[in-house]
Amino acid sequence: MINQIKKNSRVISVLIKIRFQNLMMFRLGFFGPFFVDGSLFLIQLIVFQTIYLKIDRIGTWGRGEMVLYIGTFSMINAINMFIYFFGVIGIPDKIKSGEMDLYLTKPISPLLRLTFEKINPGSFPLIIMSAFIIAYGINLVNIQITIEKIVVYVFWIIVMSILFYELEVIIRSISFFVISNSSITRIEEAGLELCMQLPGIAFYGVYKLIFCCILPYGIMATIPVQSLVGDLNLTGAIYGVMVVVGFTVITCLIWKRGIKNYNSASS
Amino acid sequence: MRKYTEIAKIYIKAQLVWRADVALNMVFTVTRILFAYLLWGAIFGTNTEVAGFTFYSMLSYYIISAFLNQLDMSGLISNEISTRIRNGTYSKYMIIPVSIEKYFIAMEVGVVAFYLAFDFIAAMVWIFIFRIKFIFTTNVVTIGCTFLMILLGLLFMAQLNYYLGLLTLKYQEIGMFLMIKNNIVAFVTGSIVPLVLLPKIYVSIMKLFPFYYITYLPSMLLIGRYQNEMLVGLIVIFLWCVIIQILIQVTWGKYRRKYDGVGI
Repeated sequence: MINQIKKNSRVISVLIKIRFQNLMMFRLGFFGPFFVDGSLFLIQLIVFQTIYLKIDRIGTWGRGEMVLYIGTFSMINAINMFIYFFGVIGIPDKIKSGEMDLYLTKPISPLLRLTFEKINPGSFPLIIMSAFIIAYGINLVNIQITIEKIVVYVFWIIVMSILFYELEVIIRSISFFVISNSSITRIEEAGLELCMQLPGIAFYGVYKLIFCCILPYGIMATIPVQSLVGDLNLTGAIYGVMVVVGFTVITCLIWKRGIKNYNSASS
Repeated sequence: MRKYTEIAKIYIKAQLVWRADVALNMVFTVTRILFAYLLWGAIFGTNTEVAGFTFYSMLSYYIISAFLNQLDMSGLISNEISTRIRNGTYSKYMIIPVSIEKYFIAMEVGVVAFYLAFDFIAAMVWIFIFRIKFIFTTNVVTIGCTFLMILLGLLFMAQLNYYLGLLTLKYQEIGMFLMIKNNIVAFVTGSIVPLVLLPKIYVSIMKLFPFYYITYLPSMLLIGRYQNEMLVGLIVIFLWCVIIQILIQVTWGKYRRKYDGVGI
């Protein structure tokens, strides 16, 4: 086990080095993801600041909680863009073109390589920007911040980044079984667009089932915020962990099944 | 004129190839309406009126603005021009005996004409599913003027995207800029939230720019508000169409020689 971890760490560090060399060759648009996603979340911030000029609360959340929500979603998205997004989105093309062969023949996990081969350092400023939004939100909510709260919040950010990663892998792995997965990626885009703007507390009934269970984008930033402001109860915490564990199992099953189903370029 | 009608017809027919895309486009108009339904549902749970809107007038606003947004397919123009210039195949448009800008406007007309009926059906379906008491003006003059404003708005967006596409001649890669533009345009056209929620000073500034008249003002007019801004709106958006046309001519004249037909 320890040897495996050591080996994987070496592989990851080599992949990062190669990626940096590659990025230095194509410097154009290095900070592109930062500007694109940065503008998206700043506009989001302006939208909710605008809404809160006219009202005091949305459900049980005031302006501070909403700013925290936007900052947290931005942080999870920033981690996604920084580490695995650009690697994972390439899965369908690699399946279609048969390029996945190259990944299967290497003596490392293909998913590990796909995950870390396209780290995007240009997205790092997004993490800093998100941290500023979160700090601003904390200031607005006016809560007592303790080390314990920060540790729990960081724990949830990591757990929800894993959930985001798993959802991306599941959706892209469908390409192992179908010719085109564009419809499913559009569902992903629509779900993300909606949950980026709406916290989980706004969902009810069938919408709650869809966005907090089937496509759980609705809990990704909601649970970390609830943990920080002290709204998260034990049931909510257990539910959050269960969802992530459940999706981890589903991701492993679909990925393994997909690899078995893979027939090189004819897939 | 006849050749541009033919181009529009070809693009209408071409859409039939992408039937799944048409269906998906219809389905995904729901995202913005669902967002409005849930967000404003939570807000109107404790408020009866926000910035002059009731719950149903707010949802009517979102239905109309989502419909207008869906109609605007001009993003295709800048992407097509940018890609073609980058890979050196823009020559295709330079050698055919048509005005390139008019070609793209005809393309936009064809695509919009095709999607018009489907987007209308989608809007009706969402009104029915979400049981929205839809608010719509009955004033014929307002409807007529708004229709004209919508047409000018669509024309302006087509011109804007054509202009941005041409900037590839100078800057080579504008993909990132186009994505940022989309984020900003979604906000300043009032597609995310009605602009009336902004402080008055910002709204006054926005009235000087064309984006106020693309989605926001037509949607407000169609739910029966801001009739007094109708005429000024038509004049401003028309002037912006003229201004951007001049900008297009200048840019094309200045940068077309930079195109080498080789690609990057």
